[in-house]
Amino acid sequence: MEDLKLSRSAMIAITVLRVVVGWHFLYEGVAKLTSPSWSAAGYMKVSRGPFAGLFHWIAGQPQWLDTANLVTMYGLTMVGVLLILGLFTRLAAIGGIGFVVLFYLCNPPFVGYFYSIPTEGSYLIVNKNLVEACALGVILLTRSGLFAGVDRILHGLVRRRVRREGLATA
Amino acid sequence: MADEPKKLDRRDVLKGLSTLPALGLFGYAWQRQRSYQQARVTEVAAAAEAPAGQQVINVALLGAGAQGQVLTDSMLRITGLRVRAVCDIWTEYNQKRVVNSLKRFKHEPNAYEDYREMLDKEKELDAVVIATPDFWHAQHTIDCLKAGKHVYCEKEMSNTLEGARRMVAAQRETGKILQIGHQRRSNPRYRHCYDKILREARMLGRIVTVYGQWNRGVTPDLGAPDRYVVPQARLAQYGFKDMHQFRNWRWYKGKGGGPIVDLGSHQIDIYGWFLGTNPSQVMASGGNLYYDPKTHEWYDTVMAVYDYDTPLGPAKAYYSTQTTNGSQGYFENFMGDQGTLLISESEVNYAGQLYRDPNAPAWDEWIQKGYVSAPKEQETKAKSDSGAIADVRESVAPDQHTVPVTLRDPYHQPHLQNFFDAVRGKATLNCPAEEAYQTAVAVLKVNDAIEAKAPVAFTPADFKV
Repeated sequence: MEDLKLSRSAMIAITVLRVVVGWHFLYEGVAKLTSPSWSAAGYMKVSRGPFAGLFHWIAGQPQWLDTANLVTMYGLTMVGVLLILGLFTRLAAIGGIGFVVLFYLCNPPFVGYFYSIPTEGSYLIVNKNLVEACALGVILLTRSGLFAGVDRILHGLVRRRVRREGLATA
Repeated sequence: MADEPKKLDRRDVLKGLSTLPALGLFGYAWQRQRSYQQARVTEVAAAAEAPAGQQVINVALLGAGAQGQVLTDSMLRITGLRVRAVCDIWTEYNQKRVVNSLKRFKHEPNAYEDYREMLDKEKELDAVVIATPDFWHAQHTIDCLKAGKHVYCEKEMSNTLEGARRMVAAQRETGKILQIGHQRRSNPRYRHCYDKILREARMLGRIVTVYGQWNRGVTPDLGAPDRYVVPQARLAQYGFKDMHQFRNWRWYKGKGGGPIVDLGSHQIDIYGWFLGTNPSQVMASGGNLYYDPKTHEWYDTVMAVYDYDTPLGPAKAYYSTQTTNGSQGYFENFMGDQGTLLISESEVNYAGQLYRDPNAPAWDEWIQKGYVSAPKEQETKAKSDSGAIADVRESVAPDQHTVPVTLRDPYHQPHLQNFFDAVRGKATLNCPAEEAYQTAVAVLKVNDAIEAKAPVAFTPADFKV
């Protein structure tokens, strides 16, 4: 992957993708933080699939549920900010993938699953969580923060420092 | 990787910060969204402002748990109220949550842990809305009435009949208003059924049997995160042995009355109201069939049969509540010799169906007056060409009508509105203490009948204070 050279226009497109995914994460986080009654309990209680037992268990444990709520609210917000800024982009992309994969596994649109919660679309195997996870995979592998993001500045500073120290020791 | 920087120059800094404006744009969009939401809140708050000439009522909420929040949400939609105080012993969570939600709607309530301190300091209060656990109702209500406040108290009015009697006596002694929270009594759909369908039109004829139920699915115990746990000393001070009992008091003897009281009380109240009399006997069976009896002292499953001597003749009413399966939810079904009324507070699940017995007089007059909808063709009739054959001895399926009245406000809003209208002297209470006491007798005696494993007979004197 490191050897792959992408065109400038491709990198611009990936950067736009990173910003809009980051925007979505940020608003999901902020909306939950500013909603006094938000809890992941409802989403986890209707969980089905191979991990349903785990999600049901968390929903029934106040301490774990409280932790899950806090991690979700602050985690989504943080990932969103980092993706928009292109700061620690790979770390943010990994964190983001972790979140959406968990959301996906909590309520997967597998064959034969019928949810009573209305959704705005129709999904079979692939849903928006999976699409977003794949988008974050692209962002992770192409390191778009180095193209346009604070990572570029950090990277430049680190390289300059390394070069100076190299010259000093030479 | 495309375009990897070799050394840091101005171009790198510009590209590095190139997405920063997106964060600014997000901030702007979010601010706009917040402003829009705030404008909606202000709109609702303005709608709740007292119209010119309307007396503003200063209210306190005593008990800010789940039910307190429900009542608060309804009060926010009622004009001319000013919530001055919120009292709850769970200062770490419930109290903060309700105070914060009120502040969003321009109320500035003072927060209290001890209701006596609240009554001492809040001299301007006109009324107190009580949503504390049942075993506190009597003392809270009596102290508030004696402090000169009108009271709206959640049902069950007390977990003991002795407590309920003292509440009625305090109301009489103080002359203040005491409404009990059997909110169906003010629900326009129920009132329409009572006033028009049952009393004026007598569309059901003579009601002989009643069936009602509240089925609720398995529900895990309520808990609390460690950081919100109430200190043990405070729990003990207010009558709770631990946090589990504090959060799940409804299941404990001496604190609540179990599902028959929490759920059944609402519906058994309607039995007496619609039948126009109190029961003469109840027999009941129940038990703790599913949950751990150490933490669920009351019966999780109850089945009760009441006898009523109605003005039109004897009737039997069955009521069932269970907490292990929520199918078919909750409803009340009144069956007369001329028709049936199937009604529920949950309009989304039960629209309010009426069935006219084929031998009953036509309901044309009541349809024309708008008391019931025109009949809907029965599905069975519509599918008569399916080849299915009705046996000659089968009853013909009755026509189905619906109750044409809807409630689009929260369930508790009309009952609270009735209370505040009564405080202003512009309405009579729909569920005064004496009425609620009769329901308390009918409901609390179910637990006695289960324990005694024998029918419990009532005399008219049992329902009087």
